[in-house]
Amino acid sequence: MTLRLIIGNKNYSSWSLRPWIAMKAADIAFDETVISLYVEGSEAAIRAHSPAGKVPILIDGQGDREVRVWESLAILEYLAEKFPAAQLWPSDPAARALARAISTEMHAGFVPLRQQCGMNMWRPPAKRDLSEDANANIARVQALWTDARTRFGAGGPFLFGRFCAADAMYAPIVSRFETYAIDVSAPVAAYMQAVIALPAWQEWRRAALRETWVIRKFEYDWPDVKRLAADAA
Amino acid sequence: MKLVIANKNYSSWSMRPWIAMKAAGIAFEEVFVPFGSPLGNDEFKQRLAAYTPAGMVPVLIDGDTQVWETLAILEYLAETFPDRRLWPADAGARAQARALAAEMHAGFAALRRECPMNIRRPVRPRTLSTAAQHNVARIEAMWGEARARHGGPFLFGKFCAADAMYAPVVTRLATYGIKVSRETLGYMEAVMALPAFAEWRAGALAEPWIVAEDEIDWPTVL
Repeated sequence: MTLRLIIGNKNYSSWSLRPWIAMKAADIAFDETVISLYVEGSEAAIRAHSPAGKVPILIDGQGDREVRVWESLAILEYLAEKFPAAQLWPSDPAARALARAISTEMHAGFVPLRQQCGMNMWRPPAKRDLSEDANANIARVQALWTDARTRFGAGGPFLFGRFCAADAMYAPIVSRFETYAIDVSAPVAAYMQAVIALPAWQEWRRAALRETWVIRKFEYDWPDVKRLAADAA
Repeated sequence: MKLVIANKNYSSWSMRPWIAMKAAGIAFEEVFVPFGSPLGNDEFKQRLAAYTPAGMVPVLIDGDTQVWETLAILEYLAETFPDRRLWPADAGARAQARALAAEMHAGFAALRRECPMNIRRPVRPRTLSTAAQHNVARIEAMWGEARARHGGPFLFGKFCAADAMYAPVVTRLATYGIKVSRETLGYMEAVMALPAFAEWRAGALAEPWIVAEDEIDWPTVL
């Protein structure tokens, strides 16, 4: 029995990207079900899978043994325990503690940035005017990434060297920084390139660019919907 | 091991790891950095900076390792003290406990805004917005389901990290006289009967500092 991951639109659903890219990058096999957000019937379709009414949802097993996990962080913890060989968290305790702290800060934080720079993978990169709060979020994210890379990143191009759950938590921020042409430091740009070069990232992005559901509230140029070509590099 | 916390009356985030450590019998040194009038925000930030560069509370300091964010602190403690069973032993229950904890960590904004933790405030009912009422309904449903499945008196039988995450919600439901089911009341009573809860509350009642934004009856402080 394989795992099943219920997710929202690949173009817009940043929460869905997190466990999805973690599982793909760690070679954990799963089936996916995509439910478009904010269309008629989508809320009921999501609630049929989980009373929390939110994606993503991970379903493991069936019948009496079925486990349903919601909330991206809880899903990542479940996967880390079930697949210890995948090393979804760094093996060093101090690195792991920092990875969890920054993942948790992502989980509940950076609200102005998330509101003003919604994930929208098909939008051609262009700057937007951002509030002071959103710019403070961007500075904080860059500081966190740089600190992790400096202290624990020697073994590879990711936050803690090899790809881990913390990178998965920040993958949608990489997408936003790219889409909204955020000015970043050279080390941060190098980190973003490492994430974008992941085959899992490319697979997600290709699927996002081909989606047809358009959600007005995430399209800041409405009624214009600017889209990259489906085969854009 | 040191835990840096702020006011016991107001700081709901501080309460979570504190009550988890106390209830689990994990020894620690409490570093108390209060905020609120007559102290200024700058004074709070300066005093906090003397202990940690994180710039927020709570922070757990274990030798060279500093852990911030409540959930990350609880995970660190669960790993460091496996015999204290901060998460349920069963993998399915543990996953559910973490989902509940994560939903609390990022959610229920309306309830948190309308009912800030204020332990010393005398119980006075408050009318909630529809959004906050939905928060309460969702919380009651989650608590009810977990307790029905695992037998109570706590969410997963014995007290665990998920209960610690919801302890400030228990105080809010009590302080603002929110109407809840008998089952919910039974759970709240179990949490409030913990010696650790009583100790935290006694500390809160003795504090002099006032935070206007958390006093919903302002300029009256009940």
